[in-house]
Amino acid sequence: MSGDTTPIAGGAAQNWVTLAAMIIVGALALVSLYMGFQAYGNGEIEIAFMYMIIGTSGFIAIGYAFFRPKPPSKDPLKPKKFDVITTLECPQCNLKRVRAFQRGDYIFKNDEPCTRCEGNMVITSIHTRKEEKKK
Amino acid sequence: MSLLQSDSEIGMILQTLFSFAFIVYLFYAQRIQAMTMLRQIETTLRKIKGLRDEGKTTSIETIKEIGKPERDPTPMVERFMEHFMIEPVSMDPAGIVGKLGSILNVREFTFEKEVEVMAPNAGPSERNNIENLLEASLALNIFYKVIRHYYLLGKKTMNIYIIMQIHMILPMILQQIEAYSSALTAFRDGMPIGDSVGPLVAAKLLNGAETREVAKEMVAGEITYEGRRVIVTKAKGPGGSVGKPGDAVTNILNENKGKVTMLITVDAAGKLEGEEVGEIAEGVGAAIGGIGVEKYKMEQIAVEQGVPMHAVAIKQGIEHVVAPLVEPLFEATDKAVSSVKGLILDYSKEGDTILVAGIGNTVGVAQ
Repeated sequence: MSGDTTPIAGGAAQNWVTLAAMIIVGALALVSLYMGFQAYGNGEIEIAFMYMIIGTSGFIAIGYAFFRPKPPSKDPLKPKKFDVITTLECPQCNLKRVRAFQRGDYIFKNDEPCTRCEGNMVITSIHTRKEEKKK
Repeated sequence: MSLLQSDSEIGMILQTLFSFAFIVYLFYAQRIQAMTMLRQIETTLRKIKGLRDEGKTTSIETIKEIGKPERDPTPMVERFMEHFMIEPVSMDPAGIVGKLGSILNVREFTFEKEVEVMAPNAGPSERNNIENLLEASLALNIFYKVIRHYYLLGKKTMNIYIIMQIHMILPMILQQIEAYSSALTAFRDGMPIGDSVGPLVAAKLLNGAETREVAKEMVAGEITYEGRRVIVTKAKGPGGSVGKPGDAVTNILNENKGKVTMLITVDAAGKLEGEEVGEIAEGVGAAIGGIGVEKYKMEQIAVEQGVPMHAVAIKQGIEHVVAPLVEPLFEATDKAVSSVKGLILDYSKEGDTILVAGIGNTVGVAQ
């Protein structure tokens, strides 16, 4: 699948509402864990256990929000734009010319006259331009 | 003291919240999941609708531009986009390929006539391209309608299993939809596509040799290679057409009764994730996709005449098949030509007759 395909999975926080909710849940989970440790220190094992479960659940929920399947973005899918090039070659003098694809071009078409000799240039290839790797 | 009191109050609130969330999740977990999935399907559906509309607009504009019709083609395009094909009954499978072939012929005939009426001033190649463009728009329309069906059905019933069915395959469907949307550009302008690699290999082998029509929209030419007679067949380009390769192979084998010692098919093949685009693989059997009618014809005649079938596959992803030809695939055609020549040298001897069939859509590729 090409790079610009809309991913369905593997997302993090989607928008500020989700982010705000995650911050609130995180804060509550932190408080809960703190109280859990405090209760443990006071010897209230059952209460400490409960607080720790709540705190841990909060952090699990945040983790889930980060790694849950990402809903597709709402931007409309636009048909991809292609940069297609046509290569013309003169069979007589081997002159090679590359230009943008034009409607009506096809491979092995006798196209325009050669600019160097009397011959006719033939379309030898039509393909998309290789995408340059981003530095 | 007050700190301890506030601690216990916060604790009580947290306990209540936790218990409430637990109860809500206990009863509504599936519903929440269903609603989340529905939301995702809805967003995707909106995008697909956009592409479907784009397909329709592109078709109408291309028909107006190339076909120069006297009246507005919009109603005809809309009617075309609703076209369907009913497959023959398969309870008694004997003879089903013939029936399917007959239905496909009627479909092709209908499409050709429709395009003829829609674009009266278009040339034969342009008509083929418009036909392919309309078929891509039709496919996008079907995708949209099927996904919408499951979405609405899921929303109506809130049945998680109905919703899950479409949600699970959504990424794969999106890949196909994106591929068809790329096809719109390719067929509108008559550019070679990923599927054109088969005919391109055949055309490169022919290297300008004279061709003749051997079946509907199929041409064949002859070359000599290392003392072998090589007959090469491909769909007639440069308009978008896959032709009838099964008929072409049948006719050529019948013309050369008993003389053909080897049949090589060259076609685009789906690559697995991790495989490189443009990888070449050699194998045996008939390398030809589609509904199966043409493959059946090829296998039938090859078995009848005892002709061994070899295959050359050019690997590509689903996103390349109907999108404008990418450079690695163009370069792969040269490797495939070498591969075909290698097979000829390895498995035949001087004086043999070999049939090479370049399978695929020949849009943007002449002979």
